[in-house]
Amino acid sequence: MSYAGKSVKRLYDDKFVTGRSTYVDDIKVNSLYATFVRSNVAHGVIKRMHKEDALKMRGVVAVFTGEELNQLIKGGIGPWTTYIDPRPWKIPLWRFAQGETKYNGEPVAMVVAQDKYTARDAAETVNVDIEPLEAVIDMEEAKKDKVLVHKELGTNLGYVGDFNAGDAEKALSNADRRVEVEIANNRLIPSPMEPRGIVSQYDGANLTIWYSTQIPHFARAEFSRIFNIPESRIRVIMPDVGGGFGSKAHILPEELAVIAASIRLGKTVRWTATRTEEMIATNSRHNVFRGEIGFKNDGTLVAIKGTLDVELGAYLTYTEGLQPTIIPPMIPGPYRVRDLAIRSRAIYTNTIPITMYRGASRPEATFIIERIMSTVADELKMDDVEVRMRNLVREDQMPYTNPFGLKYDTGDYPTLLKEGVKVLEYNKLKEWAESERKKGKKVGVGLAYYLEICGFGPYEYSETRVNEDGSVIVAIGGTPHGQGTETAIAQLVADELQIPIERIKVTWGDSEAIPAGTGTYGSRTLAIAGSAAMASSRQALEKMKRVAARSMKADVEEIEYRNGEFVHKKEGKKMSWDAVAREAYSGKEPGVSASVTLEGDVTFPYGVHVAVVEVDDYGIARVKEYRAYDDIGRVINPALAEGQVHGGGTQAVGQALYELAIINENGQLAVTYADYFVPTAVEAPRFKSYFAEKYHPSAYLTKSKGVGEASLIVGPAAIVRAIEDATGKRFNKTPVTPEDILK
Amino acid sequence: MQVEPGQRVRIRVKVNGVYYEDEVEPRKLLVDFLRENLNLTGTKIGCDTSTCGACTVLLNGKSVKSCTVLAVQADGKEITTIEGLSSDSKLSPVQQAFKDNFALQCGFCTAGMIVQAHYILSEKREMTEEEVRDMIHGNICRCTGYQNIVNAILDASRRMRA
Repeated sequence: MSYAGKSVKRLYDDKFVTGRSTYVDDIKVNSLYATFVRSNVAHGVIKRMHKEDALKMRGVVAVFTGEELNQLIKGGIGPWTTYIDPRPWKIPLWRFAQGETKYNGEPVAMVVAQDKYTARDAAETVNVDIEPLEAVIDMEEAKKDKVLVHKELGTNLGYVGDFNAGDAEKALSNADRRVEVEIANNRLIPSPMEPRGIVSQYDGANLTIWYSTQIPHFARAEFSRIFNIPESRIRVIMPDVGGGFGSKAHILPEELAVIAASIRLGKTVRWTATRTEEMIATNSRHNVFRGEIGFKNDGTLVAIKGTLDVELGAYLTYTEGLQPTIIPPMIPGPYRVRDLAIRSRAIYTNTIPITMYRGASRPEATFIIERIMSTVADELKMDDVEVRMRNLVREDQMPYTNPFGLKYDTGDYPTLLKEGVKVLEYNKLKEWAESERKKGKKVGVGLAYYLEICGFGPYEYSETRVNEDGSVIVAIGGTPHGQGTETAIAQLVADELQIPIERIKVTWGDSEAIPAGTGTYGSRTLAIAGSAAMASSRQALEKMKRVAARSMKADVEEIEYRNGEFVHKKEGKKMSWDAVAREAYSGKEPGVSASVTLEGDVTFPYGVHVAVVEVDDYGIARVKEYRAYDDIGRVINPALAEGQVHGGGTQAVGQALYELAIINENGQLAVTYADYFVPTAVEAPRFKSYFAEKYHPSAYLTKSKGVGEASLIVGPAAIVRAIEDATGKRFNKTPVTPEDILK
Repeated sequence: MQVEPGQRVRIRVKVNGVYYEDEVEPRKLLVDFLRENLNLTGTKIGCDTSTCGACTVLLNGKSVKSCTVLAVQADGKEITTIEGLSSDSKLSPVQQAFKDNFALQCGFCTAGMIVQAHYILSEKREMTEEEVRDMIHGNICRCTGYQNIVNAILDASRRMRA
């Protein structure tokens, strides 16, 4: 009996296909409903709040200003100090707007009413006098520090860091060729289908918070710090969560206001964002790399020098501090280049604060290095595969320490490229595209390679509990919200315990039911939570063996366990799994459970993806096919892994072609899906996804690496390359719009 | 009909085979009526602007986005929501096909997607992949990349024809 490696069906789909799922807005508790009055200027002084009309309305309970809410909101939001060292940062205090508003769309007042309709009606009547100040919307302008987003910081540069390795200047001067590059990703909106939401209940002593989040335990810690309430008195429950993509590891002032209101009013208060609110609450990306590269005539890349500018928006969110510090050391990617000098800067602007989004830094780094590789290929008229082959870290160099000290664990990058080109039929596609172009069609094929870093520690928690009837509950600190990792983890545990998978329930997402946890992000859950679940299950099985030994009056060494039976080797006596479980609850020290807090470290999956693009006469590009060949370590459930490739690949189509959050002084112009184009079934490509048969394992027990973000990490580079092939033009940014194509 | 501000209107609807009567504000959206008044939370609100399709229900057999229909417009009509598609806890062929084809991830678009699939299969049993993609292009899924959803609908269509 073995489950791992098979496409076992997702265990908990019934509730979703029958309408019995429970997202935060579906929770039925007596509660008041919050809504927000938002700033209509990008920068201004909040003068006066006219809340009298609202308070006269039937069903309106309260209208709160920043002054009132911030009496309870003591600390500011972010950064995520588990991964971000705050010391080099200049960080403004980010609470509910008080005194000044820093971006168009920022909440400046909160209305609490008996129901949603009343709250929204009342919010319409709250007038806020805001005296406009000079604002800085554009990152390039903000760098000049002429207009400051936060006067007290003295600059708009939130972070400046130098990432130097080798001697880039010398390598550049020794290079056969030098070329200037500019590479950019524009601003996106992550857009999980479930808008964010929160329900906060305060009973006078304890807070219970239902929260659409990826990180219930970190959220508890943050709420504890911000409200100065011990963690033991805060329970954060993550119900079903309708997608996150990194954007739900993001704490907002709106959410803090809901908690503050529930404490202040002593009532349960809830808020579910409208789509427009979701779109102006969470933006992502926007980074520009400008610099120079040096390479030899044979295609060897020898130097990268330049400046990376990352936009922050008006405040430093919980997660955006990651980008300026992870992008630079990941820029070398899978290639041997060792002389780099990268100045990384993070810049405040009077715009919506930016948060991490699927891939968080690796899409940016990969787009930069893959554009560089394509540039070298173009300059030398070399083939895309050949130029990469020339530069890839060789197998005999593994494990390889990259110039910034990251240790690439396992892999054979050139062999994967060779195999990938074959499996994905890249050369055949290229020939086909060329012959189509001769017939007048604008079709193109693009390839890109990636190496990414995932599986982030520091730890994950798991408990395996054997119930009296022999069924098993596995409580994990990981927090799947669509990926299906719970099914893969059940597969691993079923194999460890050699019992049918139906007898196992995987549970997560309640900070009191699960004593500790970090969460699901960074393609880490299967590797780290899966390994923790394997480890706690192994310990539980050892305990079961001891119970069997006690019961059969044998030494534990004499007991062998296989296929659900404990066998006394010498005497041939047997006890079933269920009988031992029952026994375990009847003797001394009743019960069987084992918990593990497993430390973990990063691991490095890699792969090659190919896109086929067709461009019409109006410059509208469609990705017709998307093919992927990945070494993600051991694959536990191929169908789930493929699902991640499809989903990430479709988001890559969005980033490369359609999605763009345009912001000006009047705020963000994309406030519905009629003006922000998330791919539909019509724009989504056909996928072919393959995983390397001879995989390279991570150091985790699962031997798996990670796949949650792969396609969005490498997809934009492959798609942009395909547009270049189709049109003969050059593009160094995402999205590539019809205007760009027709220009 | 003329109504004063704040005045409620009595409506009678049949939802998933059950008659309901209630008084609603004329501006109340059908999706809020289903979710708040009838506690049928299977239908989700994804965008409020009829672009995402998470709130898709059948109104007299036709698929509509219930965030853009007023509850009063449903007066006297028959509504089917995701909760009404399976009978005697047996999944419909579409629901079963979604499970079997890994056609969902976070599940938030799933109700609307399945209701839409029921609708298109009630209109036309046999479809090409292109046609399926076209018929669900008003339903956004951010997780799956659609391929498994399209496969599930084609699979369901085969099952329903078998």
